[in-house]
Amino acid sequence: MLVVPATIFVAIGLIGPIAILFRYSLNQFIPGQFMVDGLTIENYVKFFTDAFYLNVLWRTVRVAVVCTIVCLIMGFPLAYVLARTESRFKNLLIMLVVLPLFVGNAVRAAGWMTAFGSKGALNASLMGLGVIDQPLEIMFTETAVIIGIIAVNLPFMVLTLQSVIEGINRNVEEAAFSLGAGPAAMFRRVLWPLAMPGILAGTILTFILAMNAYATPVLLGGPKFQTMGPLVYGQFAQQNNWPFGGAISFILMTATLLLTIAANLIVQRRYR
Amino acid sequence: MSAARLSLGRIALNGAATLSLGFILLPLFFVFWLAFFRQEIPSFPPEGYSLKWFQAAANNKPFVDGFILSLQVGVLATLIGLVLGVPASLALMRHRIALGPAINTLLLLPLVMPGIVLGTSLYVFQIETEIATGLPVMGSLGGLVAAHSLVVIPWVVKLVTASLAGFDRTIEEAAQNLGAGPWTTFRRVTLPSIRPGLVAGSLFGFVTSFGNLEMSLFLVGPGRTTLPIAILQYLEWKIDPTVAAASVIQIVLIGAAMIVTDRYVKLSRVV
Repeated sequence: MLVVPATIFVAIGLIGPIAILFRYSLNQFIPGQFMVDGLTIENYVKFFTDAFYLNVLWRTVRVAVVCTIVCLIMGFPLAYVLARTESRFKNLLIMLVVLPLFVGNAVRAAGWMTAFGSKGALNASLMGLGVIDQPLEIMFTETAVIIGIIAVNLPFMVLTLQSVIEGINRNVEEAAFSLGAGPAAMFRRVLWPLAMPGILAGTILTFILAMNAYATPVLLGGPKFQTMGPLVYGQFAQQNNWPFGGAISFILMTATLLLTIAANLIVQRRYR
Repeated sequence: MSAARLSLGRIALNGAATLSLGFILLPLFFVFWLAFFRQEIPSFPPEGYSLKWFQAAANNKPFVDGFILSLQVGVLATLIGLVLGVPASLALMRHRIALGPAINTLLLLPLVMPGIVLGTSLYVFQIETEIATGLPVMGSLGGLVAAHSLVVIPWVVKLVTASLAGFDRTIEEAAQNLGAGPWTTFRRVTLPSIRPGLVAGSLFGFVTSFGNLEMSLFLVGPGRTTLPIAILQYLEWKIDPTVAAASVIQIVLIGAAMIVTDRYVKLSRVV
């Protein structure tokens, strides 16, 4: 019976609101009249027939895919070193990976804003070195958003991979080496397949987070760079269009889920 | 030759790992650097260094109010999360509950729910609650605390159940055979063995609440803003050493909380 209060709390706080949000997304929005009760799919039709909104969805998916792939490539070596190290600084290193997670996205975006400005650290040092003579325009571009999201999501990928790699017995790596496999063959045929559950979990987590990013695209992409997260917020906070905002929120959730399931199925088929 | 190739590979591996760690920490490094600039404009190289921005941050009303509100919400949400989450974890680990795995998944679900979806759905939920009950829920402290409790519970459940994994139930039975009541057994036997999970769960829960941005964005009311949102709104307007100084204070506090927690439970084992 001890489990009941928490279960009820989470069920009411999670499932109830999502059900209401879905109901809202079927309502009508008439400018000037606010929300009118109805049972219509016009909000969904509006999203999928307007090139602007489809573009926002496509951009969001594209950014999320790029960020997830880079996170996997950058995260694996660090996760491996953290999992296998016997250094007494291991705990400190893990804390350095966890700390940025806890600091929040806005603060980390602030760091990149400092670096990317036309007189920011990056441009100043590149110009000082004579690599470029005009400042690069990174701020308020897709590149800036991608760099920002990668930095935000990388710790999640590293921690997920690290815990799985720690569970892989070192002896299987040694066995591969003593049977004559080079590092590349060992990685491809032993480490990668054994780490697959962690790779899958980390990829899914970073993908979900990248699809739903808010602070990073707002601060590093600027007002003109629209992705799904800021789009949903705009519909609620500025347009007061709850039905359409609810519909976009639902499309975002469904798109995230479908792409995650699709990736899951493809990977499972290849590695069964 | 093979050994040489292996050690070369090791250098490449360590190099790649260092690069990734550096990339993760780079934005924090820039925030620290900017906080000590003498001039207000974030242009490099700095003209000199100064501590005056820390005072400016401490005098900035939105930051101070946001900090106090985030602290209140974080503490209250963590307490609620513990009160609801600890009994649930104990029950899940000890008894064979019907639907146990399903309940466990449900309790962990808020952790992977995107903040934007959680925020929008709680927003409409609070509107409906306000209409149904007539109570001022929207933008209230209670509404914010309830929402934050939702994201604290998974951390408590996750870390307390983890610390219970190696727990031997016969010790509790032994205590009861020796005449201890249920409460004494809990306080003297169960509690000490789940302490690492409690400490880590509270810390992670608190920090998750304290840093929450996406969900809170939909739930804060006029004149009631949490620190992350105050920082976001400031940054939408401009970046300067004042907001960097406020961020540095936050980073240092969170870092200190992690070091203290690390004394009780090794972070590398619970994350």
